[in-house]
Amino acid sequence: MFFLQLALSGLAQGAIYALVALSMCVVYRATTVVNFGHGDLVMAGAFVVYLLVVLAGLPFPASAIAAVALLFILGALIEIGLIERIKAGPHIGFALMCIAVGYLLRGAARAVWGREVLPMPRVFDFPPVMLGELVVTADALVIFSAVGVLLMLFFGLFYRTSAGRIMQAVCQSERGAALVGINVRAFHGVMWGVGAAMGAIGGVLVAPLTLLHPGLGAGFLIKGFAAMTLGGFGSLGGAVAGGLLLGVAEQWVGGYVSTKLIDITAYLVIILVLALRPSGLFGQAVAERV
Amino acid sequence: MAALLQLAGVNVQFAGLQALSNVDLSARGGEIKALIGPNGAGKTTLFNAISGYVPIAAGSISLNGSAIHGLAPHAIAARGVRRTFQNGGLFPELTGLENVLAGLHARIDASFAGILFGTRASRAAERDAVARARRLLDGLGVSHLADVQVNTMSGGQQRTIEIVRAVAAEPPLLLLDEPAVGLAPPVRAQLVELIRRLAGETGIAVLLIEHAIDLVMAAADVIAVFNGGAKIAEGPPAAIRTDPAVLEAYLGHA
Amino acid sequence: MNGQTPQHALAHRALGTRVFYAAPLLALVIPLFANPYTQFIVNLTLVYVLVTVGFNLVLGNLGQLAFANTALFGIGAYTAAILMAHAGWPFWAAIPPAGAAGAAAGFLASVTALRGIRNYYLAIVTLAFGELLRWSYIHGEALSGGTDGLTVRHADFFGIALESETARFYVFLLIVTVIVKAVSNLMRSKIGRAIVAIRDNELATASLAIPTGRYIVLAFTLSGFVVGIAGSLFAVLIGQVIPESFGLIELILHFAMVLVGGLGSLFGSVLGALALTALPEFFRPFPGLYEMFFGGLLIVFLLIQPRGLSALCAKRWPALRDRYYRER
Repeated sequence: MFFLQLALSGLAQGAIYALVALSMCVVYRATTVVNFGHGDLVMAGAFVVYLLVVLAGLPFPASAIAAVALLFILGALIEIGLIERIKAGPHIGFALMCIAVGYLLRGAARAVWGREVLPMPRVFDFPPVMLGELVVTADALVIFSAVGVLLMLFFGLFYRTSAGRIMQAVCQSERGAALVGINVRAFHGVMWGVGAAMGAIGGVLVAPLTLLHPGLGAGFLIKGFAAMTLGGFGSLGGAVAGGLLLGVAEQWVGGYVSTKLIDITAYLVIILVLALRPSGLFGQAVAERV
Repeated sequence: MAALLQLAGVNVQFAGLQALSNVDLSARGGEIKALIGPNGAGKTTLFNAISGYVPIAAGSISLNGSAIHGLAPHAIAARGVRRTFQNGGLFPELTGLENVLAGLHARIDASFAGILFGTRASRAAERDAVARARRLLDGLGVSHLADVQVNTMSGGQQRTIEIVRAVAAEPPLLLLDEPAVGLAPPVRAQLVELIRRLAGETGIAVLLIEHAIDLVMAAADVIAVFNGGAKIAEGPPAAIRTDPAVLEAYLGHA
Repeated sequence: MNGQTPQHALAHRALGTRVFYAAPLLALVIPLFANPYTQFIVNLTLVYVLVTVGFNLVLGNLGQLAFANTALFGIGAYTAAILMAHAGWPFWAAIPPAGAAGAAAGFLASVTALRGIRNYYLAIVTLAFGELLRWSYIHGEALSGGTDGLTVRHADFFGIALESETARFYVFLLIVTVIVKAVSNLMRSKIGRAIVAIRDNELATASLAIPTGRYIVLAFTLSGFVVGIAGSLFAVLIGQVIPESFGLIELILHFAMVLVGGLGSLFGSVLGALALTALPEFFRPFPGLYEMFFGGLLIVFLLIQPRGLSALCAKRWPALRDRYYRER
């Protein structure tokens, strides 16, 4: 029972990782740039919600929508205003630019909020649900349903609509897409916006659950990478599966070994997977499908 | 005389697609063999297979009688195979001289500690290599490019530097992938002369991928024709010119 | 279309050599003009020269993004501090182990390169490995002292007690000069060429019989050695080694020094350390300003001068351009 209870709370945590990993994966697949500042976009989403709820007194849903919209714009601006402009520079410039933007956001957050950690008032305040002997907390329920709806929406859009198929086409071949008249630059900007907005949703969902601080993003970045690595780097479905798996693994490690080790589970996952099975846990399956 | 390079029944597959099927090919010291055929015929794939950049699904590739397929590219290169790249394989931020020196890497006899402390022996080894690289550049008439950064050179200049780099270590087997693209006519004549001289004087084997048919006719001893991933004909230039299978392949494509 | 003749090149190199030796010789007189605080900043600059030289080997010369640099800096500092504080070693004896520990960590951070891990993947491995090391600094209380860290009191360099900033300066200057010279030797040899060749075109590098995976690991190992030595100097200079010194706040400074100085330029590494070492002090009273400044600085340089200050200098004085061979 303890085993299952741990798995359940792990899944709730993992759903957030899955969302963050998926949002990183979207940017990577669409633009081949790995955003090493993505964690700070997640942090920014959480902070904007905090700002609007606590300081401006807006209701949570309105704040959440505003935060996600704001982060969409920010993501698109980063791509169009900064990433797009350094295509001629050294190859390593993209990654350095992402890192720099991340630090800028983190510094801005710290300048506004100072050094202390911030609790946000609880938003989802209803009693937990019992599944037999398993306790499903309100937070977990909200996260499950929110992430579930989002994933269905995302994969439905990506694989079932014509807009999604255009996206897939551009991801496959930029030159081909440019030839048939798709504005690749605008596409990159939009996909950065989508990635940032999805990351922000992750931030919005965790904001009421944890203590907020400007350094929040670094953990999400690494956990996002661990999820992507587990699922096979660049695989959208793999990122989701990897995120869930990582969340569960962390809880088991914490519950059966030591809570001290929760933090390093992600590090070990990255190192072991890339050392032993670089294509990820499901890498073989992906290759066979082709 | 036994062949230096021997390919037997080589198959290469990309994601289920047959890129090379059942290719037999050999190369001998002192012989220049040109590989021709339409785009997508598998010529560059063959180079990639020989030099270890793509794995082969079946068959064997041997150099001097020992199998080299399955080895990493650097290990194959260490056995004496050098190649050029169709899309340019130079180091753009290094100078012409530094590029050629990289080609001499394995021949510079300097230990790690010697380099670290700048010992007399390591300096001498480096000095000799620099002198040799300058002579090689001079030999192809490009000594003025020694201190020019590659990314500021013209396409033809880059091709020339890449050939100098490939021959610098005197490899027994040289694979040239479209070396004449972007070269001015006088330089092309020089190139033909250089390739002939390399094969004639130093006795190295040359495989040459080239679309410029005049250059092929002038340089090659033997021509192998590829189409659709298979070798469809092989023989001396005069015979290839009239081979019905070759005409068919080319006319069918034109 | 006329390039430089070898004679010109030789003259340039002679000038370059003179510049190389003139800099530390001129620096000898600094203590005559410095008060203890400015001398401390000068000493810290020397530490950061090594940090930047080491990091640039991977970031600039190899062209490989990496995140473990602060953790490598930390392992050098902890190794020296542990040997000095727990085992009572003199400072001079603790320096080589600090370098060795840094080298070993650099090796481990990059060893997956032998199995074909590259680019983003390798960068992510270094991120995870670096965080793992930092976690061990916090949780390895018995050795590292946990979040309280370790205090380094008496630094003994072959019988000279490094009590004053001036004494530390001369010892640091000697060590930094020797290491920068050794790195310069490496860069202007087949090893340095192989490393930058991998950055420019790895497939072509392998076609020249250069085992690229091994050279990637070598670059990381060398980088770890240099940064590890820097860590041991840092431990003695600050007198205290705590995990906080090797976190993300520190990392942006390392990135900024390499980029502002010039990716892949040894001369640039020195410039980057000179330009930025003193700045963090000014931001201390204002939370967040530090990260905003260095993040913004990186953005400005990436947009306007992505090859850093060294490229500006090399444009004016060609003698300062980095070369990857030697003729004498």
